[in-house]
Amino acid sequence: MSPPEEKTTDETVDLGACDGIDMNTFSQILEMDEPGDHEFSYGIVFDFFDQVEETFETMDKNLEDKDLLGLYSLGHFLKGSSATLGLVKVRDGCEKIQRYGKNENLDGSPEKDSELCLKRIGEALKAVKTDFAEVETVLRKYYNDKE
Amino acid sequence: MSGGEVTPTPGVGGSNASEFVRKLYRMLEDPAHQEVARWGKDGDTFVVVENEKFTRSILPKHFKHSNMASFVRQLNKYDFHKVRQTNDSGSSANGANTLEFKHPNFRVGSKDDLDNIRRKAPAPRRTQATEDFTTGHHISVLTEQLTATQQQVQQLQELFTEVSQTNRLLVNEVLTLQKMLNAQKQSQHEMLNFMSSSDRNNRHQQSMHLSVAASPLDGDESAPELRRARELLSSVTPDSIADRELERLQGVYGSPADSAVVIPQASMPMMHDPMNDINRYPVYPVGQTVGIDPFHSDHIHKIPYAMPNDSSGGAMQEVPAPQPINTTAAAPSSSNSPSNTSALLWGARKPRIFLVEDDPTCSKIGIKFLKSMGCEVEHAQNGAEAYSRITSVGRDHFDMIFMDIIMPRLDGVSTTMYIRQDCPSIPIVAMTSNIRSDEVHCYFEHGMNGVLAKPFTKSGMLKIVENHLSYLLKNYDPATQQESGSGYVVGGAGYMNPPGSLNTTGTTTFKFETTPTPPATGSTWSPGQMPQASPMTTGMDQGYGMVNGAGQYGMTPSSATRATFPGGISQPQSNPQGRMDNQSPPEKRQRTYA
Repeated sequence: MSPPEEKTTDETVDLGACDGIDMNTFSQILEMDEPGDHEFSYGIVFDFFDQVEETFETMDKNLEDKDLLGLYSLGHFLKGSSATLGLVKVRDGCEKIQRYGKNENLDGSPEKDSELCLKRIGEALKAVKTDFAEVETVLRKYYNDKE
Repeated sequence: MSGGEVTPTPGVGGSNASEFVRKLYRMLEDPAHQEVARWGKDGDTFVVVENEKFTRSILPKHFKHSNMASFVRQLNKYDFHKVRQTNDSGSSANGANTLEFKHPNFRVGSKDDLDNIRRKAPAPRRTQATEDFTTGHHISVLTEQLTATQQQVQQLQELFTEVSQTNRLLVNEVLTLQKMLNAQKQSQHEMLNFMSSSDRNNRHQQSMHLSVAASPLDGDESAPELRRARELLSSVTPDSIADRELERLQGVYGSPADSAVVIPQASMPMMHDPMNDINRYPVYPVGQTVGIDPFHSDHIHKIPYAMPNDSSGGAMQEVPAPQPINTTAAAPSSSNSPSNTSALLWGARKPRIFLVEDDPTCSKIGIKFLKSMGCEVEHAQNGAEAYSRITSVGRDHFDMIFMDIIMPRLDGVSTTMYIRQDCPSIPIVAMTSNIRSDEVHCYFEHGMNGVLAKPFTKSGMLKIVENHLSYLLKNYDPATQQESGSGYVVGGAGYMNPPGSLNTTGTTTFKFETTPTPPATGSTWSPGQMPQASPMTTGMDQGYGMVNGAGQYGMTPSSATRATFPGGISQPQSNPQGRMDNQSPPEKRQRTYA
């Protein structure tokens, strides 16, 4: 229901142009940086990258082990972090994983077929990885330019 | 707080027995409730077996309210004593959730003794009360009646607020949809125009190429598909009467006197105006891109939980000890580098806030936000760590807790329950993305005071902190808080008022004349006032009823932004507080990024 986002233009790399990043949320974090210094947001973003890489690895493993519950809680975990940063595509993907991991369909209705859930998680995870790689590239470039 | 029947019920007790006691006796006689409330094993006590069921179904039936806390209070007034749960004898048979009460004259089968169960007279008036018992009795009956009426009024008020809030959402939503529809219609027209012109060109070229004489129609007649599309588009005409009614409704809801979620009429929603969009979403203004659909039924249903569904007592809690903060006057610490705004914000002492959150990203940002507001922050990574920290530093250490729900080792709800054993009054705000109505309800039921939806905004967080810790604000003034606390949004600020105002009045006796009638809000009698309005709520001994107005706004990340509007609007009328306005500029600035 919300109107199309207005792009912010005062950044060297136009983060707003990347539809995986919600600038509403992310700019709040940038605002917390001291003037002329990006230490705070840099720290958060790059720690998040590490966290995501780790989580993806564990997810892959959980997928092999058919550990739906593990996938559910990792999905929840990563959803929270990505949402806080405004990385909306990653967040949405994680929400899917969370749902499937809980043996639910996307609309919240129960899905008994665990194999189907695992298959869907596999697909969702693949998509999340792509979405993440996209925002990661943009953000890395953004901070490189700032250096 | 029993209902107001004065007619004695035949068969139970002598005519002298108090209405409350008789009702109690009657309730226990009713075989239908044996599952939930019954006589104790020896007949000299009575047991509430299922607290929740009791509150929900029996209290309303027999006592015309559903407030466990006030029921217990009433019992205490009549000198009933709670029986401690022991592991021996009969009480062990009852679950952990049971409550057992005892009065020497209250036993099964001895109705005559009921006459001897008397309300304890308020201490300062004891001599008077014994002199004139009947008057005292009448007063107590009247008191009960009045309180019951107050509660009914309040419940109606809550219902009304809830309904009008929902209605407002719907009206705004319909208008938005209408605008979108119009825009789409227009764009379809544009497309049709474009397509028919290119279609015409095509035909023209074709006919040239094939050397077939073009039919005269071809010149201005488009393909049949395009024509049909046009017809379809124009066949739907808006119902202008209904439209006008909608506009009128929006005007009604938008009037400042009525609501805090004001939609200024002058700035009717334009599709691309971020400020208006924020206003239009009283629930989750972060918008589509941040992922919560404000009109998802879950969230609309959630609205009621903002209000104290426990009626007047619900907004209250016992004041077992003065708020720790009121007594301690710690020196302001300058360990953090407060930002420019924080210097303006807090009074003699900065709030000390405990952030319990397992996600490193969330906690880092949360800490940063809180510090930038000038708060001192401590962090724990899970519930177990948080609980042990709180037990080691004591109940006065923190002013407020933000609590994640899903955490390893000990989840937020359980942690809250543990903390509540030691700290009945510290505000605990759930910080979570799990905000379905049943989940939110669960948080409140287990002693939490508000919800901050993830992903949170700085302004949302700030608003919650201000609401719960308004007494620490630099320009906190209990008097003005009382006034401004009556507004729908700002009502949350009323949470801390009771201790404050009680400390000043210093008495818990009946003082109906203290009921304020806020001139600023006119017709609205907000639940936020109930703390001041109802003397019966002082000394409530169950912390779980602390659900209050703050909760509602606690859930909305942008409540700060919205709250600036009522502040600004009511200011010309009676609100001398400048703080809302002081703070609004940075928030607005932030919002315009939307």
